[in-house]
Amino acid sequence: MEAKEKGIRTLLLNLFSKCPGFEALAGLVALFVVFSFTATRFLTLESLAGIITVASELGIVACGVTLLMISGEFDLSVSSVFGFSAMVFAAMSNTAAPLWVGFLLALLFASAIGLINGLITTRFRIPSFITTLGTMMLWRGVLLAWTGGFGIRYWGKSPFLDFLNGQLAGGFRASAFWFLVLTIGCSFLLTKTPYGNYVYATGGNKEAARLLGIPVDRVKVINFIIVAIFAGLSGCIQFARFASVDPLRGQGMELEAIAATVVGGTLMSGGHGSLIGTLFGVLLIGMVRSGLVMSGAPAYWYQAFVGVILIVAVIINTRLREWIG
Amino acid sequence: MTEEKKSLVRMVNISKSFGKVKALREVDFEVGYQEIVGLVGDNGAGKSTLIKILTGVFPPDEGEIYFEGKRVFLRSPKEARDLGIETVYQHLALIDLMSVTRNVFLGREIVHKFLGLLPVLDMKKMQRVTEEALSDLGIKLQSVDEKIANLSGGQRQAVAIGRAVHFGAKLLILDEPTAALSIRECHKVLDQIVEAKAKGLSVIFITHNIYHVYSVADKFTLLDHGVKLGDFSRGEVTAEDIIEMVRTGQVKEGICSD
Repeated sequence: MEAKEKGIRTLLLNLFSKCPGFEALAGLVALFVVFSFTATRFLTLESLAGIITVASELGIVACGVTLLMISGEFDLSVSSVFGFSAMVFAAMSNTAAPLWVGFLLALLFASAIGLINGLITTRFRIPSFITTLGTMMLWRGVLLAWTGGFGIRYWGKSPFLDFLNGQLAGGFRASAFWFLVLTIGCSFLLTKTPYGNYVYATGGNKEAARLLGIPVDRVKVINFIIVAIFAGLSGCIQFARFASVDPLRGQGMELEAIAATVVGGTLMSGGHGSLIGTLFGVLLIGMVRSGLVMSGAPAYWYQAFVGVILIVAVIINTRLREWIG
Repeated sequence: MTEEKKSLVRMVNISKSFGKVKALREVDFEVGYQEIVGLVGDNGAGKSTLIKILTGVFPPDEGEIYFEGKRVFLRSPKEARDLGIETVYQHLALIDLMSVTRNVFLGREIVHKFLGLLPVLDMKKMQRVTEEALSDLGIKLQSVDEKIANLSGGQRQAVAIGRAVHFGAKLLILDEPTAALSIRECHKVLDQIVEAKAKGLSVIFITHNIYHVYSVADKFTLLDHGVKLGDFSRGEVTAEDIIEMVRTGQVKEGICSD
């Protein structure tokens, strides 16, 4: 009996170190099975495409959030950056300037906001939770003041918008491709390059990393910029899908992105996590959204369900980790 | 000039204050080539201040530092490390959730250029070098892919020392290396210190445990309240003499410092 338990323990330990995100994958599979029974049209290509479209826009933000969380910081302002960038892109799209100019401007805005978040957090040594809570409110407020609360539509058609988020075969959209590219890219960055080492070290033990000459503050600032650019990109991608944006766009996304990241096995305290885990976490949340509606539950239950999943996932993760020792 | 070449490190007349607190007062400190020096003194004696000056964490208010006979100004820990001054801190400067290999090479990763631009980690090479560096000091681990969190205290100490030795340290500074270790592991760490000396390194050993340092050190430097009590060779004093001096803050009668 004991030998068997030890065997399982070693297996889990190997899974944890070799296959990051397997916990979230297990949850994903379990929910998939449940929904395929409860929801009649769940097992169709369209439904899958729908899940992935929603998941991709959240996922692009969550990629950045994961990177930042591994280095030990949070960004709550992603939702406002998301809305703000989309609005900049939308406003520019209705001027004479080519669309890509507006797009670049939107990302430039986003990266400036990320830089500010990073500098405030590292220079004044305050928790990024506070910094970005502040900037989340700040930029949402500026956005509302600027637009007077009104949204913007874009009436034209453009290959650039298709490039960002056009329809592909089977109801899938280009955003899925971008999400995949960014996940693979960030995963490569984290696991195969020196910068990835710095990110884990910064989140794992800041003082030790500093003593070894890792520029921990710079790593954090860079990650703040990356997450902001991703949030801005995601905002632009969503604008390309709807061809419209309202000033409340993106609200609540910051917490969903954090939830997806944490469900995917990334430690809130930093130093541990993976993009693969976040990929599964994001798909899980996307699936809950579609699956519940398709199962006939009122859409209001979505948030409640995600909340429960988040807590359960973290409890399971923590217990597993303790049990493995 | 030739005279200064005799020692690897010579710190002369070092003073340092923090606000009103005089942490160090005109302290001289010397470490010879291939010499193990025990830096001892009670809490607040100024040991860590002296070491932080030597490792470039902060500069002295007054005084000069010579390394291999040349005057040096250490503006950052990196500058000190580039000279060959490696520190193994009490809290080890290891990242618990990262593998042994990644820890050993943290900040000094071996890379090859992917497509000619992107630096990509050469994990295979780093693993091999890590295994060699550790076995050179007589350290065996199950796997260098193991996370630091899964190692014992002594193994962690060994990884930290192995890292310093491998990266061409000339001077190894160990801050309480035997604190919180089991007796058996203590002896292993002490063996590694002797091994490091045999490889040509000099070692500064900071500790409260006089018996540990006494078994390996060639020389002892005693600090008390920011003032140096003296340097003593092992032949001149017993471990009990040193404990007595640390306790009283006075040089024991009948013992003359070098």
